Order: sequence, then C-alpha cells, then structure tokens
Amino acid sequence: MRSLVELKNNNNLYGYTNWRYKALLILIIGFFAILIVGFIGLNFGTIIIQPEKIWSIIWQHQTDNSLGLIIWELRLPRLIMAMLAGMTLASVGGSFQGMLRNPLADPYILGVSAGAALGACLAIALQYTLKLYLIPYLPFFSLLGALISIALVYLLSQKQTRLSVSDLLLAGVAINFFFSAIITLLLATSKQGTHTMLFWLMGDLSTANWQKISWVILPVFLGTLLLISSSLELNAMALGEEEALHLGVQTEKFRMKIFLIGSLMIALIVSFTGLIGFVGLVIPHIARLLVGPDHRIMLPVSALAGSVFLIICDTIARSLIAPIEIPIGAITAILGAPFFIHLLKRRNNINE
Amino acid sequence: MVHQKTMSAVVSLLLFIFLTSPILCWANTNAGDDLFPVILTDDLGIKITITKKPERIVSTAPNNTEIIFALGLEDKLVGRTDFCNYPPGVEKIESIGMLSPLNLEKIVSLEPDLILTFGGLQAKDIIRLRELGYKVLALDAETLSEMLNNIEIIATACGVPEKGKELITNLKERIDFIATSSADIPASQRLKVFTGSSYEAIWSPGKDTLFDDLITLAGGQNIVGNQKGWVTISSEQVALAEPDVIIITSGIMNPEEIDKMKDDVIRHPGWSQIPAIKKNHIFAANEDLFYRAGPRLVEGLELLYEIFSGIKE
Repeated sequence: MRSLVELKNNNNLYGYTNWRYKALLILIIGFFAILIVGFIGLNFGTIIIQPEKIWSIIWQHQTDNSLGLIIWELRLPRLIMAMLAGMTLASVGGSFQGMLRNPLADPYILGVSAGAALGACLAIALQYTLKLYLIPYLPFFSLLGALISIALVYLLSQKQTRLSVSDLLLAGVAINFFFSAIITLLLATSKQGTHTMLFWLMGDLSTANWQKISWVILPVFLGTLLLISSSLELNAMALGEEEALHLGVQTEKFRMKIFLIGSLMIALIVSFTGLIGFVGLVIPHIARLLVGPDHRIMLPVSALAGSVFLIICDTIARSLIAPIEIPIGAITAILGAPFFIHLLKRRNNINE
Repeated sequence: MVHQKTMSAVVSLLLFIFLTSPILCWANTNAGDDLFPVILTDDLGIKITITKKPERIVSTAPNNTEIIFALGLEDKLVGRTDFCNYPPGVEKIESIGMLSPLNLEKIVSLEPDLILTFGGLQAKDIIRLRELGYKVLALDAETLSEMLNNIEIIATACGVPEKGKELITNLKERIDFIATSSADIPASQRLKVFTGSSYEAIWSPGKDTLFDDLITLAGGQNIVGNQKGWVTISSEQVALAEPDVIIITSGIMNPEEIDKMKDDVIRHPGWSQIPAIKKNHIFAANEDLFYRAGPRLVEGLELLYEIFSGIKE
C-alpha cells in the first residue's frame, strides 16, 4: 500500500504550484536561523564576553584589543567555516542519497574523504620523517589526495560498459577501504604524528581564517546552487532508473555530474576542516522528515539545516569543557547517532 | 700622615661611588633596553624579532615553564598548561588547558607578548598565533646541549642573558663532573641499559633522544642507542640485548604502583634470564627527569650516574 501512496506523491511532485513560495519562506527562515544561532555561538567560548560588548566589537570592527581579536579572528572565521562546511556536507549528502537512491549514502561514501585523509596523514607523517615543516601545506596535500581519489573512482567506474548505481558505489567503497588501510598503517607506524592525524580525522575547525574562507566561499555557494538546480532530475531518479530515463534524464551522465560536483565541493571543504562526520548523513534525512522528499525544497533545507547544526556543534565543542576543546566530529556523532538510530527504527516500524 | 691619606682616599672613593650610584643604576636600567631588539631563530627555523622586554609570557610546554622558573621569571608568566606541574608555585598561574590543540581563545585573552611553545603537535596552532601577530618561539630540544641552548634563547628573549649564563654555567659544571668521570669507560665495560614499557611493541628512546643522551653521558650504553629516534622493539630483542639495568619511568611515583610495575617487568615472559632481572637491577624514576627538556634533566643525569655507580660497586 505504501508504495502506491509514495508513487502518487511522487507524481504530484511536478504538480507543486506553491513550491517557489515555500522555498522563499524556507530561505528567509534559514537565513534568520543562521544569524541567530551564529550570534549565540559568538557568545560562547573559553572567555565569557558580554553580548553588548560583542555587538560593539562587531559594529565598530574592533581588532586592536584581545577581545576584538577573539571575536573577529577566532570565533567569527570558525563560525563561518562551520556554516560553509555544514552547508556543503548536508547538500552533497542529500544529493548523493538521491542520486545513489540509497538512504545510507553520505558525502564520504564515494571515496573523497579517504583520499583527503590520506593526503593529510601522509603530509603529517612525512613532516617527521623528512624533517620538513609541512603543516602549513596540509590543505594542499589533502586536496591533492581527494582529487586523486575522485579521479580513481571516476576511472574505475568509467571502465564499465554501463554505469549502474552499484558500480559507482562499489568503486567508492573500494577506494575508501584501500586508502583507509594505508591511513591505519601510517597511524600504526608514525610515532610523533599520530595525535595530529587523529585530530585531523575527527574534524578540526580551529585553523579557520579569513583567507581560507575567501578560497572556499564561492565554490561552496556555486556548488550548492548547481546541486539545487539539479533537483528535478534528482526527483526523477527517485522514481527509479527506468522512470528517470523515460522522463528524459540521461541517468549515467547525470550521476557523473552529481558525483563530480559533490566530490569537488567536499574535497575543497574537507581540506580545510578535516573529516566532520554524520552531518552529511543525518541532516538530509531530517530535512526529508520536515519538508518531504521534493529535492527542490529538501536540498535548500538540508543546506541551511546543515549550517545551523554545525554552528551549534562547534559552539558546544568550543565551550562544553573549556579550556579543553572537544573534536567537532565527536559532537556531531554524539548528537547525530541517537537521532539516526531513532530514524532507522521509525523507518522499520513503518515498513513492518 | 700616610694613614690619613689612605683614609681620605677611601672616603673620596666611597663618596664617588655614592654620588655616581644613581647614574650607574640609571645606566643599568637602560642596559635592559640595550638588550633589545634581539633576533632569534627557533627550532622550526623561523626568525623572531623581539623589540622589548616581554612582560606577559605564556608557556605552552612544561619544560619551558620550568626554564622560566629557573630563570626567576615566574612573575612574568601569565599562562601555563595543565601539564605544568613543577616547580611548586606553578599551580598559582592560570592554565590554558591542554598541550594540543592549544586553546587560542584563552591564550589571546591573556594578552601575551611572548609565547613559548614546543613545535611538534602545536605546529598548526603556532601558525595561527603568528597569523594573529603574536611573538611565538617553538623550542623542541632533543639533546642535553640543545636544552642548554634553549635556556640561552629564552634568557635572551626575556632580557635576562646574564641570569641565563649563570644557570647554564651551573648546569654545565654538574654535567661536566659526570661526563669527565665516565668518558673513559670503554664500550665493553659500560652497563647496558633498557628503558621502555613492558608491553609488546615496546617504545624505547634511541639515538638523538634526551634519554639516550643522558644514558651515554652517565656512562651507560642504551640497548637501542644504535637506532635513531624513538624505536619500536619486541620483547625478543630486549631479551637478546641482555640489559644490565632496566629503568622504569613513570608519572606515578606511588611506591605500591611502582612495585606493580617492577613486578610486571620481572614476570615478563622470556625475560627471566636477563642480567638486570636476575640481579634485580630494576629502578623506577620520575619520567619528567628524562623526557622533559628542562633544567631537571641534569637531576636525571645525576640519578642515572648514581644508579650506575651503585651497581658497579
């Protein structure tokens, strides 16, 4: 019975007349949510600063005292980086789930993360063996690793005569396993770098600065818009491979397009933030629960909710047991995992 | 007459000193400014120019904290880490938390004009602090002489080079006393020393580590001294090396726990025939005396020397 209802809903997807208003409303709500959460986030940290003081620091652009430095150079860049990372991870996660028609897909499932992680860990390991000061070039190494893994997955799946969902997935999973194995080797054999590697693998926003944001911000917004503009095709894919073909979607090309856009976005953001987990998996599901499966609305909601979620997580990471900072990956998973389990249970109950 | 002349000479000399002393004092305070600017190169190979005497120092490493105290600069220290547990009095200084990742917000709020770090794990935070315009020195000594060199760098950076020289001379005297008396011991007569955990995949400090340096200076021979850096060895290699002395280093110096650790080593499978275990030459010592690149390394050296001399008698 459920499948019939679902099909009916899906057929109605193209009949939405008010989706534009809905999207506009969501954009406005999301924008204000980010502003509010962002300002609350600015208030938390190791040092307690009065909210009025923060206002005046922001409006007068004070950077000549230590409080000004804390707000402008430490908290604000982090917040914005968290926002951009949340946006990227959630929107790419949502698109991958739609494109692969797999609710367990996340932005890391197609191998980018493992490549980026290997690049970063290799740089850290090399730093100690070659006695070269490589830490400033970590983003470069991880971007390179990510690009290599994207190329590998692309080539591996191109070899097939007909590219099915499972070909792409399996290529990604294989690359993930292979690269992760090398990372494990590095972790086991590198003596001094282990701690740095582990922190990178758990996600780290503390290196965010304005320059890095200026490199990331345009590709993130552009990529997110490109993904959202592919919503109709993603909706068609949800009906099934055959249906999508009938509706005029060149499924193989389309899958490659989404894979490349998404993976490049992830490669870029992950190079600067490390592997922040769970956001890309759970947020799209939350968005689907809130506004339904239409990607035209679901994807923008994912992007905004991802931003809000990661800002909240980073604020908790910075302030919960200050002056000690918790790796952000731990917070996202602690908050995300119970919710995800709840979601899966709910899903099972419906299916039964 | 002669007596009177000397008297008047002494009086006029005293008068001269009395009158000129304010000038001398003034010259002396000015001498502090003459010491700056100084250009220093840290262990990351980065040059730092310090333009005036630092008044607010943050130390992000226990060894730097100990050096600051040894130089008598503790009243200038405004921040230390949770790991800075020595010397007494250090607990009164505000903590910035963990060694890594550094809490940048806390450091910035302390408004330091000099930050003493240890490179390594803190590298990415050091980059961030430098971006924010702070003077950061990364000091990461791997040998005893590098540690002495770092004392000199810190003393120069803080405007107390004389104090630094004094401390270094004192430490050097103590080191030289031991070094000269053990320098002539031929390799064949040196006690073979093993230190490391008793678990499988043992980590032991090899060549170019502080501990190895101390063992050699004290007249011993590190069983992994022919390998560079921290090395992983197996229980089999330890058994094969037949060490004469086993040094257990620990952060916990509670006698009961120490006994448990010794027991663990004694009952380690395959080690029963090791000379150190047969003769019960197993010693426990505070790890900070061997791994923390501060002035107390010399205490560690003296302790090792004592242990080795005791065994030989």
